[in-house]
Amino acid sequence: MSIDSAIPRPLWGVMSRLLTYGLVICLLLTGGPACSRGKQAAALKIGLAEEPRTLNVWLASDANSQKILRQIYQPLYRPEPATLKLVPWLAESEPVFDPETVSYTVKIRPAKWSDGSDLTSADVAFTARLIKEFKIPRFSAKWSFVTRIETPGPRTVRYYLKAPTAVFLSRTLIGPVVQKKEWESVARAARQLEKPLAALLNHKIASPVSSGPFMLTQWRRGAYLHLQQNPHFFGRNLTIGGLQLGPHVENLLFKIYGTSDVAILALKKGAIDMFWQGIQPGYLDDLAKDPGVRTISSAKSALYFMGFNMRRSPFNDLALRQAAAALIDRDFILTRVLQGHGQKMFSVVPDENIFWSCPDVDRYFEGLPREDRIRRAYDILTRSGYSWEVPPVDASGQVQTASGLRLPNGAQMPRFTILTPPADYDPHRAISGLIIQEWLRELGMPAYARPMSFGALLQQVKERHDFDTFILGYGKLPIDPDYIRSMFYSKFDRPRGWNMSGYRNPEFDRLANASRKVIDPNQRRELIWDMQLLISRELPYLPIYKPALIEAIREDRFHGWVPMQDGIGNIWSFCRLRPTTLEK
Amino acid sequence: MELNKYILRRLIEITVIFFVILTVLFLLFRLAPGDPVSRMVDPSMTAEDARRLIEQLGLDQPLGTQYIIYLKSFFSGDLGISFHYGVPVLDIIGERLPNTILLFTTSVILAALTGIFFGKIASWHKGKKIDSWLTIGALICHTLFLPWLALIIIWFFGYRIGWFPLNGILSPEIWTDPANGFFIRMLDVLHHMALPLMTLFIIHFGSYLLVMRSSMLETLKEDYIITARAKGLEEKVIRNHHAAPNAALPVVTSVALSLAFSINGGALTETVFSWPGIGRELVFAVSNNDYPLALASFLLIAIVVLLANLLVDILYAWLDPRIRY
Repeated sequence: MSIDSAIPRPLWGVMSRLLTYGLVICLLLTGGPACSRGKQAAALKIGLAEEPRTLNVWLASDANSQKILRQIYQPLYRPEPATLKLVPWLAESEPVFDPETVSYTVKIRPAKWSDGSDLTSADVAFTARLIKEFKIPRFSAKWSFVTRIETPGPRTVRYYLKAPTAVFLSRTLIGPVVQKKEWESVARAARQLEKPLAALLNHKIASPVSSGPFMLTQWRRGAYLHLQQNPHFFGRNLTIGGLQLGPHVENLLFKIYGTSDVAILALKKGAIDMFWQGIQPGYLDDLAKDPGVRTISSAKSALYFMGFNMRRSPFNDLALRQAAAALIDRDFILTRVLQGHGQKMFSVVPDENIFWSCPDVDRYFEGLPREDRIRRAYDILTRSGYSWEVPPVDASGQVQTASGLRLPNGAQMPRFTILTPPADYDPHRAISGLIIQEWLRELGMPAYARPMSFGALLQQVKERHDFDTFILGYGKLPIDPDYIRSMFYSKFDRPRGWNMSGYRNPEFDRLANASRKVIDPNQRRELIWDMQLLISRELPYLPIYKPALIEAIREDRFHGWVPMQDGIGNIWSFCRLRPTTLEK
Repeated sequence: MELNKYILRRLIEITVIFFVILTVLFLLFRLAPGDPVSRMVDPSMTAEDARRLIEQLGLDQPLGTQYIIYLKSFFSGDLGISFHYGVPVLDIIGERLPNTILLFTTSVILAALTGIFFGKIASWHKGKKIDSWLTIGALICHTLFLPWLALIIIWFFGYRIGWFPLNGILSPEIWTDPANGFFIRMLDVLHHMALPLMTLFIIHFGSYLLVMRSSMLETLKEDYIITARAKGLEEKVIRNHHAAPNAALPVVTSVALSLAFSINGGALTETVFSWPGIGRELVFAVSNNDYPLALASFLLIAIVVLLANLLVDILYAWLDPRIRY
């Protein structure tokens, strides 16, 4: 029996008709909607790895929401791309400090919101008061030392501080300014509720009023975000930080690409002009074949490090931490794990942060071959009273496989874990953990790398303090290095505090406190450098590396990307990009 | 009347099971390692900030109190507010669920109809070339690794020959242009749906064909088929009217459960095609400890699976008159 006879005749007819209709629809689909393309004038199309979660600036903690919000809400000061020095943005000039009243006066530029209303000192003061009143997480700590805010004029704001505080300019005044008109009623309603902060964070912002170069015109959830030039942008045609601003791009279209593979295809096809997400080095060869696509490698303001639990034995012993530091070969990790796309780190402040990064920190036997590293580590431990059943170095000085490491008190060194995020979260850290495990074992240390879910890892390290060692990373570190105070200050050694290693050193605390009070940048730098040297000597954290940020763009439709630390996806780029057709 | 009593009894059972599931899920999420605040790796987030945020999210309360509060809200139709989106989870589900239903239900129905049809043909031609080809084809489809297949399809149809968009549910270029009317916009959605639909169709089609084929082969051995042949009925009538309806029962179960599980959408498909469905949200919610969103998504799946089971039982009685409750 043929297939034909197995299928009833009327069904055949129906099927063939369906097939024909299907083909016609397919043809229509492939041709139809495509015909309408190209009507959108000069839209810069950007691929995002995930959809932004919210446009409520107080709730948004995910990177993709921040990418959109940075086009909308503007700060008073921001770092300029070349030197990362803070330059006045919404502010007209540097703040004026009055030591008598311990106050800063900031003059703001003539500026308007996207709804056409004036951006005044009332908006700036309102934002600060809102943060302070609602104690908004991630913002409130930066305002804790501000006692009072005044608005002597429509374009003048005066902040009164408890005491001179160095981070006021570099941490406090770089936050976003929101429109009083937009948020006043929200705040009023929130105050009436049982949980005012939750009410503020959960307020749905459909169309935020913008003071930035772009304003949101449409967010079709799950599909795209459309931003249009803000006709009232204060920076238009101004030169700030040595760069003349536009924007010259009419529209920004943000599309979502769940995987890098598809985003790369979209880039090659011309469906997007930029994929705003770091890509793996594995894509570079393929992209290099496409003349329209360019890849740009930028330094990241990041810190990937190994942390030790100094609250308990054996890592409360400096010698053991130093021995571990001697064994870790950053060159190997850089070349083999990061495939050369990154940088070694020796200080907790990245090298690119030229002003604040201390060049004199210990480099822990940089460039030394493996066997010499083992010998150095062996020396450090032997001098501190450690012993072995089989030492890593024999009587003739030859390196051998060690076993049975004993602590100075004679007890066998217990097995310990190196906690890392899992490979699907961050392959670099997971693999580095395994490699470090092997290096430590060469010295007879019973190390076990243990990848675990990121949430569980943080809970164990940050909340319960139940760990031996861990490998974690910080991305998007602020330029002001005040964060090292959070990481190592004694007061922050508590559940959920950022002093995860449990480092307690009165000298460090003294330096950290002093560094907050000194206003003169050069004097403050001395203190910050001393803090870095102390950390480098005592090793609560051992900085290891930071990966480079590789981004891919098309250059056939837009040009003028501004390179900067943390990538070309910065406000300077969006204010400077020009359609290639305009040039022609 | 019997059937009505049965449905009532099953509905009571379903309600009890549902609340057991709700309780287990509630406990599971809260006892799992990590919390929504500890994931914020930002030195600006102080311990005080974290404590305040936990308090505002209601996570500082004892587990029992949290459970009672949740139940109260649940009965008033409030499934909570997503920790990360800051909007009611019902709004998020309401936005994403139709997309998932559109894609996955269409693919399951298309794959089931095609699978039943070709399964019938394969079994009717057991041992012949057509059977071998269809069975091998179905086995290949059934065992394909979905993300790989999806990427190959995207590469070929979306990139290489460029007939279809690479991903997403619609083209911003079309939807932001007011000149484009409803018809063009709907065409655009269908256009975007083509590749994920093709992927899911290929993945599902094989299993339906195999189930139908094996069920049909069993049915063809039944006495009533021999009787029908003895009566001299046409082969086509025996196959289409006597064998196929009975053989389709296991496929009906499979389809109903597939439809139920399609609610969770297959996070992989939705991720590769950037299809804004509930599957991706579910994965996000679980991995980011967004308890209200994760709980609501799982409860939705539980409801649909429980109701789909009930529906299958009722369908069985309708399809097979021998089955009585």
